[in-house]
Amino acid sequence: MILVYLVLGTFFGFVLSRSGAADYDFIQGMFLLERFQLYGIIGTAVVVTAPALWLLKRYGKTLTGAPLVVTPKPGHRGNVVGGILFGVGWSITGMCPGPILVNVGEGKVYALAALAGALLGAGAFGVAYPRLQRAMRLPPLARGTGDG
Amino acid sequence: MLILHDMQAIHWAVAGLGISAVTLALLVIANRRLGVSTGFEDVCALVLRAPYFHRDALKSEGGWRLPLLGGLVLGGVLSAVLGGGWSPTWDLGMFDERIGWGPGGKVVWMFAGGLLIGFGTRLAGGCTSGHGIFGLSNLELPSLVSTMSFMAAGLVTTNLIYRVIL
Repeated sequence: MILVYLVLGTFFGFVLSRSGAADYDFIQGMFLLERFQLYGIIGTAVVVTAPALWLLKRYGKTLTGAPLVVTPKPGHRGNVVGGILFGVGWSITGMCPGPILVNVGEGKVYALAALAGALLGAGAFGVAYPRLQRAMRLPPLARGTGDG
Repeated sequence: MLILHDMQAIHWAVAGLGISAVTLALLVIANRRLGVSTGFEDVCALVLRAPYFHRDALKSEGGWRLPLLGGLVLGGVLSAVLGGGWSPTWDLGMFDERIGWGPGGKVVWMFAGGLLIGFGTRLAGGCTSGHGIFGLSNLELPSLVSTMSFMAAGLVTTNLIYRVIL
């Protein structure tokens, strides 16, 4: 199974690399409303995945024959506050989480600094979870903010 | 070498279809929701003992995200190798033209941005893939709220940097 995820990740990474999703100029172009590329990519992915997902949940099974279960993410204040923090970081670096790894692979040295920051930021969040829980209305610790 | 600076980007519709294929494959193979940022937590779980990184929701997933993350790096390597050869670079497109900081400045800038990405995505419960693609496709309200929040924040920040400050 590990190999399956590795291959899917490699394909995903290659597409992100060659489409502009992992390119600083394409990301700034998206936020400056000068380039349509990233809106086209995300829009196509959602428009194609949404009906397929609906059909799969209704009629589909996994390859092992298990029922298809999708657990929705919980809603909380972190959706807005965390979203804003992430958006600023995305603009600063020109990378969201997937493309950070893609950029590291492409040989962009500064992406290693972004990766170090992201790991440290995620680590700090996990350590601070009990203290953020109340103010952010976060779900119980065993559940977390939502996996994705 | 900076990818896409001397080659054409693949069409957005093709890229979108490719990402959709990965999303559906993960779901059909083993009921996995596409998402990258939780993978940062899997990495943290290797070294940190905070209870959050050893919670049931994360442990029960069996660490499938680590090979996915490894694949993303490999995908970048493959793209560079097939696109003219892999070599380390500090090039950063319009950042070099308009801001022009050297390696030291870039490291600080990228590290600061990375902190916001790591903390922010985990607080939000997802990133562009988990909220923006999977969550929106599944018509989940928290994902719409998050996606609107990070798109708006990115729009404001980039416009501040490149249209107001510079």
